[in-house]
Amino acid sequence: MKVRVGAATHEGVAVDLRGRRVSGAAVAASVRGERCLPVVACASPTAVYEYAGRVHPSMGLRTRTALAAAARSRDEETPHDADIAAYREELANLDPSPPELVEATEAVSDAEVADLRETVAAHRGRVTARRAVGEDAADARADLRDAATALSERETRRAAARETRELRREAARAYRDRLERRREVADALANARRAARATLVDRFTGEFAAALAAVPGPTPDDPFDASSVTAALAVLRLAETPAPVVLEVDRFPSPAAASEALDAPVVRC
Amino acid sequence: MILVVAHSRAGRRDLRNVCRSHEDCVVRQLGRAALFSATEFGAFQALRLREKHGLDVQLGVVEPFEPADAPSHLREAARRYEDRDEPSTPYRQFASGRDLPDPDEMCGADL
Repeated sequence: MKVRVGAATHEGVAVDLRGRRVSGAAVAASVRGERCLPVVACASPTAVYEYAGRVHPSMGLRTRTALAAAARSRDEETPHDADIAAYREELANLDPSPPELVEATEAVSDAEVADLRETVAAHRGRVTARRAVGEDAADARADLRDAATALSERETRRAAARETRELRREAARAYRDRLERRREVADALANARRAARATLVDRFTGEFAAALAAVPGPTPDDPFDASSVTAALAVLRLAETPAPVVLEVDRFPSPAAASEALDAPVVRC
Repeated sequence: MILVVAHSRAGRRDLRNVCRSHEDCVVRQLGRAALFSATEFGAFQALRLREKHGLDVQLGVVEPFEPADAPSHLREAARRYEDRDEPSTPYRQFASGRDLPDPDEMCGADL
């Protein structure tokens, strides 16, 4: 690894930046690729760095989660992984955004159509009656034509309004079905992840206890009672750690000793 | 009555708030759904929720459904099934061989 602070470049598996007024948080963020200064040239970090990439006195640690991440950094697999992948894929394919609905059209009431039907029938009656007595039916025919046109126009609009309504309802229902499925899949995914984590924690508890005994610090009876700093060091010791770990604690005699014990590149801040 | 169903967390929260502050237009609250009175004010509150939450709030109109509203063969089927001797008999099995409507037929038939 290479770390550049100001004009100086530090190189090696153990870099001591004490007295260089560089914050551990900044270095850790650079390692994770979230910052560009200070410049840290190194391998990319594994998931375990999110939990234990920076060890400092006031840190907290979700020990089980970190231990599972450490196991993952060593390419450990669980029987739940296929489910996790399938749920993730399904979730990614379930679009959570609401659809664009077709514009709603003003409803045409049945009463309006019924009224027009009656008008058409009345005009038709008039035409027939005038013809029967031999009178001129031209006006009545014109009225009939107008009424019939109005009726057919209303009926068309009513049919269109019904269709739009149906389309809007179907789109809304499909959207809500999708949301419901998303919730189900998200729940299932969370359960599968928890199960996978529990499997990994079970599998690595022994190794974790051994790592706790090997790193400096008190070793409690229950490995999960270890203090955050001690637990983080043990997690790092058993994890695959290609990228530099930031240490801000005085547990080791030197950065080189820390790098040796954790089997990781170390930046001491 | 107006049915309001909230399909998102934010929608649920606002539905609860409306139910709490406008009891007069709320006929019933059922978890993430509520029945508002069929008044202009009930409609106004329902429309407000719809306006704010879009499709995450579903609106509908609900009418009471009385036994008399259903065809008599359905009422008869329900009465006889609930009167069965063997409580564990599924309806499908109960209906076959008797003069009762088949569940698939009922599913395919509009009320």
